[in-house]
This record gives sequence, C-alpha cells and structure tokens, in this order.
Amino acid sequence: MVSIANPHSDLIHDTALDYYGKRLATCSSDKTIKIFDIEGGNQRLVDTLFGHEGPVWRVEWAHPKFGNTLASCSYDGKVLIWKEENGKWSQIAVHSTHTASVNSVKWAPHEYGALLLAGSSDGKVSIIEFEENGSLTPIVIDAHSIGVNSVCWAPAVVEEQNKSLKQLRRFVTGGADNLVKVWKYESNSKTYSLEESLEGHSDWVRDVAWSPSLLSQSYIASVSQDRTCVIWTQVNNDGPWKKTLLKSEKFSDVLWRASWSLSGNVLAISGGDNKVTLWKQNLSGSWDSAGEVQQ
Amino acid sequence: MVQVIEYPVTATFAWSKHKLPYLVSGTYSNAIDPNFSSESKLELWSINQINNKEPIFSLNSDSKFNDLDWSGDNVTIAGALDNGSIEIFKFNQENDSIQSNELIKNNRHTGPIRSITFNPRQDNLLLSGGEGIINSSNSAKTLPTINNIQNTTSEIFIYDLNDVDNPETLPMSPNMTMNRFETISSLAWNKSLSHVFSAAGNTSAVSIFDLKAKKEVINLNYINPTTGMKEIFSVVEWHPKNSTRIATATSNNISNPLNATANAGDSIYIWDLRNSNAPLQILSPQQFENNTIVGHTDGIQSLDWCAQDETFLLSSGRDNSIMLWNPDSGLPLTKYPKRNNWCFKSKFAPNFPEIFASASLDGKIEVQTLQNIPTISDEEENNSKQQESETDFWNNVSTEKVVEKATVFNFQAPSWYNNIIEPAATWSFGGKLVSISKDGKSININKPNLPGYFQDNKNLEE
Repeated sequence: MVSIANPHSDLIHDTALDYYGKRLATCSSDKTIKIFDIEGGNQRLVDTLFGHEGPVWRVEWAHPKFGNTLASCSYDGKVLIWKEENGKWSQIAVHSTHTASVNSVKWAPHEYGALLLAGSSDGKVSIIEFEENGSLTPIVIDAHSIGVNSVCWAPAVVEEQNKSLKQLRRFVTGGADNLVKVWKYESNSKTYSLEESLEGHSDWVRDVAWSPSLLSQSYIASVSQDRTCVIWTQVNNDGPWKKTLLKSEKFSDVLWRASWSLSGNVLAISGGDNKVTLWKQNLSGSWDSAGEVQQ
Repeated sequence: MVQVIEYPVTATFAWSKHKLPYLVSGTYSNAIDPNFSSESKLELWSINQINNKEPIFSLNSDSKFNDLDWSGDNVTIAGALDNGSIEIFKFNQENDSIQSNELIKNNRHTGPIRSITFNPRQDNLLLSGGEGIINSSNSAKTLPTINNIQNTTSEIFIYDLNDVDNPETLPMSPNMTMNRFETISSLAWNKSLSHVFSAAGNTSAVSIFDLKAKKEVINLNYINPTTGMKEIFSVVEWHPKNSTRIATATSNNISNPLNATANAGDSIYIWDLRNSNAPLQILSPQQFENNTIVGHTDGIQSLDWCAQDETFLLSSGRDNSIMLWNPDSGLPLTKYPKRNNWCFKSKFAPNFPEIFASASLDGKIEVQTLQNIPTISDEEENNSKQQESETDFWNNVSTEKVVEKATVFNFQAPSWYNNIIEPAATWSFGGKLVSISKDGKSININKPNLPGYFQDNKNLEE
C-alpha cells in the first residue's frame, strides 16, 4: 500500500502509526525520529526530530486526547517527549532516570492519564506520570537483574472489589534474565508489585506483547532469542498463567518482535530470518499459521 | 543490574566463559601487600554473589601471580607464577570449587612468567612468556655487571596440556632472532588461525610468530613523528574475526632509557598486517572541550577487543584510567571513572560483554557495566553541592562518598542490542501492519487480507 524507501541514513528500529492511521513516526540508529503524513497511497515527510545522542530504539504515540504527542527512547539512556503545537514539533520533556540504554517505552491505556512505562538495560523499569503542572513523578522498580528488553501495558480492565469498581492496572516485562514478569499496581502503596514471574525461555526475552482485546482470557506473547514464542494465558484476570508454545518446533532464527492486532487477536511475529508471520488461535486453543506478509 | 561489584583483592584475574560468568583472581606479584604478607591465593568470585567481601572459593598457591587465563571449555585455569612455575587448576561448577594444584612438569621457564594464554581454538595449547635468566656457566654470573640488561632474555613456550607430565618432553619454543626481547609483557593468539600468535615485550617492535613456519614472520614497529623515536610496545591484541588485524599499545615509560624524552602520552595502533608499514588508526590522547585530555597519558597495560562487537576496544593503563574506543573510526567512546592507582588489566566478560572487570593496584577488582549514564538525580546532587556553603562543604567532606560516573563521548550501541536489522512488524488501527524491510532501511504499510478477521473491521471509529 504505502512504501517509504530510505528515509533514514542508518537502520530503522521502530515505526508507529497514530490512532487515525494518518501519521507515521519512525526512528533510527541515525539518532533521529521522522514524522510522515500518510494520505491514501502517498506519504510526505513532515519533520525530523533531533535530540537523542544515540540510536533511537522505539517511538510511540500517546492517545489523541493528549494531543499529537510522541515518546521515544534511546541508547543514550533518555526518554524524550515530543509534541506538535500549531504545526511545529518540539521536545517538551526529558526523562533521565536510567543509567543505561532505554530499550522500550509504552503509553498506558488513556484511562490512566498520561502515564508512560520505560524499560532499561540498567535492569529497571520506570513509570512516569505527566501531571497537569508539567512535573514528572517517576516510580522506579528493579525488574530484571541483567536488563529489561521490553515492556507492555495490559488493556484497561475494571474489576469489582468489595462491591466497588476498581482499575486493574497491570503490565508485563521481558528481560535478559530469560524471564517474563507480570506487574500490578497497588493503589494503597501507590507502587507496582510483582504478580508473577514466568519461566519459559532459555535465552533473552526480546519482546513481550499483551493483547489489547478484552476477552475472557488475557493473552501475553513473548518472543526470545531461544527461537520460540510463548503464549501466556490467564482466565478472568486471576489465577495461574498457562503456557502454550506458539509452534512446537523452534523458529529458524532468533525472534525479535511480537505484535497483536487491535481486534481479532492476530499475532504478527518477526525474526532474524526477516520474515513476518501471522498467527491465530483455533477452536481447540492451539495456534495456526495465518500466512506470511509479503514485503 | 548492579552498576559495580568490587572484589577486595590486588590481583590479576580471568573470566569464565559462562553467560553468568565467574571470575578467578590470583594475588598480583607486582604489588606490595598492605600487611607485607607474601601469601598468594587463587580465589573464585561470582558476579551475583551477595557478599562481595569473601570469595566463594579460595586456595593457596606457592607463588604470586603475574597472569591468569581460563580455557574456552571453562574447565582449566592456568596461572603464570612469579617463581617461574605454571600452575594448572581445575574448576568444578557442580560445587563451585577449584581443585589445586599441579605444576607443569616439563616447564622450561627459568624466570618469572609474565603472560599466559590458552589457544582460543585448541584448549590444550597453552602459550606462556616471561623473562629467563641467561644461563652462563662461567663465574662472571655472580659478579655485578654494568649493563644488567644482558642478564635476562625473553622466553616463550607453547605447552600441549595433553602431554605436560613428562619432564622429558620439551615444550615448543619459536625461533626469536629478529626481535631481542628481554622480557615478554603480552602474548596473544590469533583468534582465527590457531598457529599464529604475537608477542610484545620491552622493545620497539611487536613480533608475529607462525608455528607452521616455526619462526617470527612479521616485525611491527612505528617511528613517532613527534619524537622521532620508535614507540615501545607493551601490549598486543588481535581483532576478534579478521586474522590480519591487530592492535598494539605503547608504554613509553619515562624510565625506559630507550625513550627518555618521549612521554607525550601513549597510543593504541590498529594495523592490517597486509600493510605493516603504516597503521590504519592511531588512538592517541586528544584534547577535548574544557581542556580535558581523553586517552592514555601514561603506559597502556592492557587491551581487550570485544569478541561480539569489533567496534569496541577496551584499554587501561598506568595513568589509572580505563577507556572504550571504536578502533574502526578511531573515536573515543567512553572514559570510565579513574582508579586510585595503576590499572593493569581490563577485560570484557567473554559471553556477557555488557560488563567488564578491571584490576588495579588500588586493591580492588571492579566489575562495571559498559554504560553508566549520569541521571537527573546525579545532576541535582552536583548542583546542590556547588551551592553548598563553605561550612556545609567542610562538614560533609569527610563522610560523603563521591560517585564518579563515566563520561560518554559517543553513544555507540553494541551489536548485541537492537542495532541490527529488525524486521519489526507492528499492527495498528484498521488492520494495517507497518513493517520494516529486510535491509532495515525502508518501511511498508500493508493491509493483510485475512478472511474473517479484517474484512469487517470497524475499529477506525473507535
């Protein structure tokens, strides 16, 4: 449909389409972020954002209710927040609490406010709330002893507790300690605690993705350098997590990324063999290939 | 992860090749023990041990260590002892123990052994070098000689560990006619050719030996155009993949009679042996903004070329500093916090290059992460310190521990991060899939046709 050739002078690491599918943000080892307007089959470069001092690993759009806002993270250890106002892009905040590369950044479901989650090679995750007065209040927790590779929020869920409705605020992290960990917000202590540490990989977990669909089950996909993808499921947001291998035999190469479609629970997996494969669950609960994306 | 683990020993060390590595340390011979003890210990440490004051295993050794190496299969540890012996240890991972203690029986060294290294491709081949006493039978030996240089000569031996118990078997020794070293300070096996190695001593040349030819095949030297003198090389290190690339570092010690005037700092030279007349890169001390010197101002003692990313080279020296360089571009990447004394060995953990260890005469082996970026709280601390009143400053000065951070000149991500081609595919609204092309340079937006899944997608209105 749309193809953008060589927008950056070095490798591209991440792309993000905004909520309306009209704007694309890309980031690269060339230390920049680029913003494109996408109109039908056409695209136009709107701006190039300079500010990071190292390769930029991830970009993510905030929900449109927070304006045209973008978060990016880099090997330089920083998370930068960018905003477009009156057609002009500028850097509005710097989050500098990590001592090593920040590898992953995700905005929380918009119901929680402007809340950002970041994971770093320093082994920590930070949760930053951007408050009305512009201040940042980070919560920093030790997550994976030898580095956090990926973070992802659970979709916003409301559960009934003592006859009142309460948010169940959770996220998942994947680390260089081969573990997948699920974390939960404790509203009393205003911090996050470990809900479950999931063992299923024998090498670095490169990406974790929590399915955004609100179904009776929670789905987390984790992909690893051990060439496997594990689907973790939990019924009714409670109880044990069940482990299913996406495919019983190993993939032909290291797996880098996992992404759930916004509805329909189709999983896209990409790996070192440069293939993007699609997967969906069948009625018996196991996973079937739904084809390969031709590039 | 923990930024720094430190082990309270003045010792040389070797890493194991485990993903969560062990480190073995051996009491360093060139240091004076604060208690004037002559005791020598081999000690085992882990990077995730809780109490870092005590080793997880310890045993005594006959003599202090000049160097240690751990074999590629993680089983054997070889120690270069100051008394001229080579001690072989066996590591047992099941109970975290090290079994002592056999000295190589067919050892031919006659003086202190300075450098020892396992062949990276054949675990049974051990290369050792040091200085030997010239064995003269006449009585002149006992008389003081004017030129004491003639009392020692370098010794290099290659041992086959499968055949070292027979005192009658002679270790291999290469023919060293071109370069007259008095001692050997650094030895390195070529990382791809198991029959090639190099040596540096206290002379103005680095020797490359080929065991197939049984002799020295290349002699590298460099005349410093500023001083007009030949550089004195102290360290050699091979490129991790390219068999013709080598790094050599200088130690233009002011006390060295050959080079008394040349103390303008020390440099690392990157060579391609196919053109041994001119180095590819020279990593020299450079003046940066606010007049700080970046690079080694005195005696480089160790080099380590990262096995997983050949654009990382770690160096340390007598100027107490540790540097990370890009040997391809010649750019300094990071300057680590200074140690309190000479830093004689710095090595990446072989299978976990995110961390490295460095040994210094300041009494510690420090393990630190490649990255240690100052955070906002470090800056705030710095600012509040500068606004401190004089009284507050003097009240706090004795109790405050200054935590120095690394200075980053270039944020260059290592290859084991994501800075490789990532064919990342990300779903977005409307069943669109954005993916990065196979070469990592272009972007495609597709709408995969999955019957029953996306044909009736109405999420755009969400």
